[in-house]
Amino acid sequence: MSKDGKKITVLDPIGQPSGIFGSRLNPDSVPWAIHDPVNQPRDTAEKLEHLNMAPRLDNLEGKIVFLVNTGFAGGKEFIEELDAWFKENRPNIKTEVRHKQTSMFTDEPQLWAEIKQKGDAAILGVGG
Amino acid sequence: MNLRWSFPPYPVGFVSRDTLKEYIRGNDPISGAPLMDEIFFALTQPLTKEEKHPRMVKRPQRPRLVEPDTEENLHRLFLENGWTDGLPIILPTEERVAEMLTGTDHKPDEVVGMMSVTTHEERLQYTVERVAVNAVMAGARPEHLPVLLALGASGRPSLPSSTTSFASMMVVNGPVRDEIGMNYGLGALSPINYANSVIGRAWTLMSINLGDMRPGATFTATTGTTINYNNMCCAENEEASVWEPFHVRKGFKKNESVVSLFRGWNVMTMGLGPSQRMLEVMRSMGGPFGGAFTFLCDPLAAKSLKAEGYDDPAKLSEWLVNELNPRFKRPDAVNFIVVGGETNPMWVTTDFSYFQSSPIDPWIPKAGIKKDPKPLRMPVPVMCKDGSCGIGH
Repeated sequence: MSKDGKKITVLDPIGQPSGIFGSRLNPDSVPWAIHDPVNQPRDTAEKLEHLNMAPRLDNLEGKIVFLVNTGFAGGKEFIEELDAWFKENRPNIKTEVRHKQTSMFTDEPQLWAEIKQKGDAAILGVGG
Repeated sequence: MNLRWSFPPYPVGFVSRDTLKEYIRGNDPISGAPLMDEIFFALTQPLTKEEKHPRMVKRPQRPRLVEPDTEENLHRLFLENGWTDGLPIILPTEERVAEMLTGTDHKPDEVVGMMSVTTHEERLQYTVERVAVNAVMAGARPEHLPVLLALGASGRPSLPSSTTSFASMMVVNGPVRDEIGMNYGLGALSPINYANSVIGRAWTLMSINLGDMRPGATFTATTGTTINYNNMCCAENEEASVWEPFHVRKGFKKNESVVSLFRGWNVMTMGLGPSQRMLEVMRSMGGPFGGAFTFLCDPLAAKSLKAEGYDDPAKLSEWLVNELNPRFKRPDAVNFIVVGGETNPMWVTTDFSYFQSSPIDPWIPKAGIKKDPKPLRMPVPVMCKDGSCGIGH
């Protein structure tokens, strides 16, 4: 290798940006499927589909909003204080507090089903 | 990403209720807007066209080559761009990368996988050649490439981003251990073995460069951990173990070569004593998530545990989990690896979870591991048994 000022050529070490941000194969995939080569071997951008966002509400008056503690430190207390804020400031909005039963890293299909069935909106928090 | 976010100030954990009330009544520190206004906005503002019809982001192809420059300037470029771990690297010239690629029969442009150190961020895709580039940078030789490709195929970074500062561990089983001169005996976790050192380092360089690790942006470990430098890279001492090899317990054949990956936070060395003592240490280390543990047992410790009646480590896992917390009965969350040189019947306790095992054999050339005519090897530890080493007792 030259050390006398001669220019040399080396290869770029960086991976190719894929344009894939947390998309899943389908809505029924486990949340971590995108990171799991067993569930999604050698995936390509073309094979992925986006989950669609739910339509927004006109307003929250008279609606039921689920407040979900995902389980990070302080999440329980934060969600409880958020609940208190709604009761004090927006009493016409009904809130339902839920705590994830296992951890922030696991899926809880029953909870999501309950929210879909009984709720109008959901606020999940707080990230750690 | 198709979600709407708002941010309260940080930290949220371990602060008073009054502080949380202030957070909720206050502003999002990122946007400067009132937090509750943002939340109402997120729930009621109609979806934008982009949110209704998300599209895959098209990225320009990264160049294969870096702009030519002097060796000195290129070393500076790699360092200042954050493409290294801060230690000196071997520059990945075309010649060196081409030589590295002789370590596998797979084509250079074959896609190996995708990786991101942050789970919800954009993943980077990489080929056999990009893995080889990082292998060269780490100081590896072609004989090490199959293990590194197996790591790449796992898609799992050694530096998964978490404010809690994750550590990772990789353990190799099977015939490849001896083929490439890995250390699983005395000082297997010490910096005294070429293969262990460069393979462990390469996994982290791959995670930086192929996993888009950018401190403060995609990587948020508040203290970090020095384990990230080498990822406790070692092999299992299958020959001295009284138990079946780890990979066999995970469903592989004994003659298959496999790299197994673990992740956690804490490592506590110098564990001594029977299974009851293991339980006490587990109780002292148990984290908020129910607890996962991987023990690194010297072969002598494994013998002692077998003498206690645990001829199968699965039985020991079962007993420990039952005693620790039957509510979270997950015996698979407690694992045992046999590593060490039989100089002390000790065990190392980690709170590492086992994630997956990635096969190495598919990446090995049909002609076998590509070795140098005289493979690079550091001195093999030799136990002084006759006093000739000059140490008196």
